[in-house]
Amino acid sequence: MRWIGGFARHERGPVKRVAESNGKRESAGSDPSVSDSPFSDAGALRALLRHPGARAGLVLLSLVLLPALAAPWLPLADPTLTEPARRMLPPLSTGHLLGTDQLGRDLLSRLIWGARSSIAVGLSATALAALIGILVGLLAGWLGRAADALLMRGIDVLMAFPYLLLALAIVAALGPGLANAMLAIAVANVPFFARAVRGAVLDIRHRDYIAAARLCGHGELAIVRHEVLPNLAPTVLLLMTTTLGWMILETAGLSFLGLGAQPPQADLGSMLGEGRELLTTYPRVAVLPGVVILVMVVGINLLGDALRDAIDPGHRSIGPAPRASRRTDDVEPRQDDGGSTGVESVADTDTDSRRQLLRVRALGVAFPTASGYADAVEGVSFDLGRGERVALVGESGSGKTLTALALLRLLPEQADLQGRVGFDGRSLTALDARGMRALRGRRIAYVPQEPLTALDPLFRVGAQLDEAILAHAPSADPRPRGDKLIEAVGLAGVPVLRRRFPHELSGGQRQRVAIAMALAHDPDLLIADEATTALDVTVQQEILTLLQRLCEDGGRSLLFVTHDLALAARLCRRVLVMYAGRIVEDAPLQRLLIRPAHPYTHALIACSPELGRPDKPLAAVAGQPPAPGALRQGCRFAPRCPRVQPICREREPALAAVGAAGAVDAGTDHVSPRPVCVPARHRVRCLFPMEDA
Amino acid sequence: MIGYTGRRLLLLFPVLLGVSLVVFGVMSLVPGDPALAILGPYATPERLAELRADLALDRPWPARFVIWLGNLVQGDLGRSVSLERPVLDAVLERLGPTLLLAGSALSIGTVLGLAAGMLAALRHNRSTDRMVSIGVLLGISIPSFWLGLLLILLFAVWLGWLPASGMTTVWADAVSPADVLRHLVLPVASLALVAAGVIARIGRGAAIDVLAAEHIVMCRARGITEHRIVLVHALKGVAARMMPVIGLQTGFLIGGAVYIETIFQWPGLGRLLVDAIAARDLLLVQGGVLVLATAYVLVNLAADLLQHALDRRIRPA
Repeated sequence: MRWIGGFARHERGPVKRVAESNGKRESAGSDPSVSDSPFSDAGALRALLRHPGARAGLVLLSLVLLPALAAPWLPLADPTLTEPARRMLPPLSTGHLLGTDQLGRDLLSRLIWGARSSIAVGLSATALAALIGILVGLLAGWLGRAADALLMRGIDVLMAFPYLLLALAIVAALGPGLANAMLAIAVANVPFFARAVRGAVLDIRHRDYIAAARLCGHGELAIVRHEVLPNLAPTVLLLMTTTLGWMILETAGLSFLGLGAQPPQADLGSMLGEGRELLTTYPRVAVLPGVVILVMVVGINLLGDALRDAIDPGHRSIGPAPRASRRTDDVEPRQDDGGSTGVESVADTDTDSRRQLLRVRALGVAFPTASGYADAVEGVSFDLGRGERVALVGESGSGKTLTALALLRLLPEQADLQGRVGFDGRSLTALDARGMRALRGRRIAYVPQEPLTALDPLFRVGAQLDEAILAHAPSADPRPRGDKLIEAVGLAGVPVLRRRFPHELSGGQRQRVAIAMALAHDPDLLIADEATTALDVTVQQEILTLLQRLCEDGGRSLLFVTHDLALAARLCRRVLVMYAGRIVEDAPLQRLLIRPAHPYTHALIACSPELGRPDKPLAAVAGQPPAPGALRQGCRFAPRCPRVQPICREREPALAAVGAAGAVDAGTDHVSPRPVCVPARHRVRCLFPMEDA
Repeated sequence: MIGYTGRRLLLLFPVLLGVSLVVFGVMSLVPGDPALAILGPYATPERLAELRADLALDRPWPARFVIWLGNLVQGDLGRSVSLERPVLDAVLERLGPTLLLAGSALSIGTVLGLAAGMLAALRHNRSTDRMVSIGVLLGISIPSFWLGLLLILLFAVWLGWLPASGMTTVWADAVSPADVLRHLVLPVASLALVAAGVIARIGRGAAIDVLAAEHIVMCRARGITEHRIVLVHALKGVAARMMPVIGLQTGFLIGGAVYIETIFQWPGLGRLLVDAIAARDLLLVQGGVLVLATAYVLVNLAADLLQHALDRRIRPA
């Protein structure tokens, strides 16, 4: 199990590290196989058989397995019958399809019989390793405490040996022979099984059904037999499949060294070993057994991978065929036909658009699913003026972060981007990857939600700050500028700070560093995505003040993405409310707070806790937002709307000016002509806006 | 850093003690009289009695272990029957060539494997990725001893470009480095290709994870070039994650070296072990296994320290 073993071992390695540092159970999260047995489900088996890798594996394996199984009934020559007179016959000789070897034995017959014993030995070794492994793992996991500690330290010591070496030492002590080689390989593999089984047992023993069985008065042994062992099946079966190929290789290896099968007994490994002497003269004697081993092991490994995919989709070796897989960077977004959806040009140069820094038109983000694309963001259109601070407010999952990322074209690879984004008179959506990179961080900067994950954990803060500066000013010395930035965001102790790693800073310090990096090139537009959410309240206030100062000083525009209307109120004069991937209301802050036109906005305001009013019950919007991709008709909010009318479930409203005559006309995103009585730019996506609220 | 190194070094002692206990235990699996097994059927009664006294065979096994461990600490691993010299001398003499072979294979396998894994992750689910996956499948399925034979057949027998064997010693004055290098190519290739397969397989997964991390997206948001993101940020992240895997891979390389040294007649410890097993020279086997296992434990220590140097968040288990 040299390679596959390392694989299996190592997939658990990092998990273990994390789990132990948190003082949690090992690999509890890494064994999804424990929870739902896929074998109870015939569909899973059929899915396995549809897996292309599994099919190829089955074909390859049958090529070797079928003749090996049928060997006693096939018209084959005796594989041990030596006939010196007929030695080294070439392939296709009469009676010897593949010719004969150095002792005149039929090569084909020897290959088939050799494969038979190789498979038998590999299977026995796997079964034995699994058996001992289950026993050790079960004892350790179920008994816990001292038994667990003792057994696992023993397993650790066995794993401290280079894999084959332990097997060699055992064979050296017991003496050569196929049975001893099998035993040695099995023992060397016990640690992998023991560890996996222990992890699975630890997971199972804390499950409810175990507690239930205890309450019912079942004995420990009965619980292990009826509840634990059946649930170990997926883990063990998967490990057996992934290690079988390995064990066949290793037993063949021991035979190759002359430590396994002894003449006249032969397996593929010993045939290879004998053939080695004839390599220069009759290479086929050594080459052919290797081909058989390779075909067989490739087949087994393909099956093992397919089984892993079926049991544990998180470890998919090869994903499904890419669906229009394209980097958002490389490809221009799908352009809608401007006429039908009312998308005007975003790059036009009339005077009105000069005042606007950012123009977003019919922006849409969709993700591929099993049943086509699911829209996560749809028809988002808004403008953002120079120096304007706008909040984008919505529940989590409403598409606000995706909207923010879409503006910078930083969506995940599989996402499909639609619509247009204009920035400072240029179309961002038409830019190539190079042009886009030149804008990011220089003209448009992004302050992320969680600065711990947003900074590279492996680099010092100073290096990352310098890097952000060098990204657009490659020749300058970044240090003075970096020091100034650190001071500008209110951090002290520059030299010490520079040498810190992100995890050594507090949340507030990290967010200030992230803001400093965003300010590196004095951007025109700052996108702050829940920039204060991960911070505690006092730090939150400091960061808000900082953002406000930075925007006021530099005349910067700000798009402030948040779920908290109260925070938005601190910083912005205008609010865009998002719901289920759409903008449902766009209004000046005061107007929105006093006279929200959309029932959702109304509910959102009602949800904000009021300080000093503990008597007031905290409202919540009833129901759940729709899942992206859910089949939709009519208004997205209709299922949760207290004012819902029958027509709301059929007709999707447009984002239209409040009080405008055309507000009920669905189908366009045009801002309808503004009536005199309504304040500037109050738009709502509702058939029955709450005008009198 | 110092604290981590210190704690990690302290962990070394129980592991090494456990390793020697296992080696001692395995050797007591020998059926029959150990002294007879070690000296062979032609030993004189005097020699047998002497060895029985040396091994303290009349004492219970814990006492025997303590005596054996005491000798071990003083560098006394006993005397090899087949070579008629102290085990430690014979083993240390052969350790160098094995380290040279395994070390070269590990370096090349790591570079190849990481490059292929990163490439596959960057071209996730495209043809490059699939080609790497096929290469990986072959790498983990091919018997390394057979790959060695194929390489000999192709490059030594048919093409005649490289020698298949003939290296008797690596460090002597008479041997030029160029000659050693020529002899190294084929065995190192046999080992490295296989190691690269495993490292590419796990590295691909690690690279996919790292490339999807939020800090990579944020690097893009700062306008950092894609080259720099991949070669600086992603590569360091992948390397840090891969350190323990690479450490483990050494163990598999040491095992593979047993085959490869036998095939290429490389004067290393692996071949010594195989010869010792064939000669039933149990003390030599014991010494060889112990030294290789210790080397492996030390390599894993180095890998853990290196990982901690790359990623300071790592704490000892």
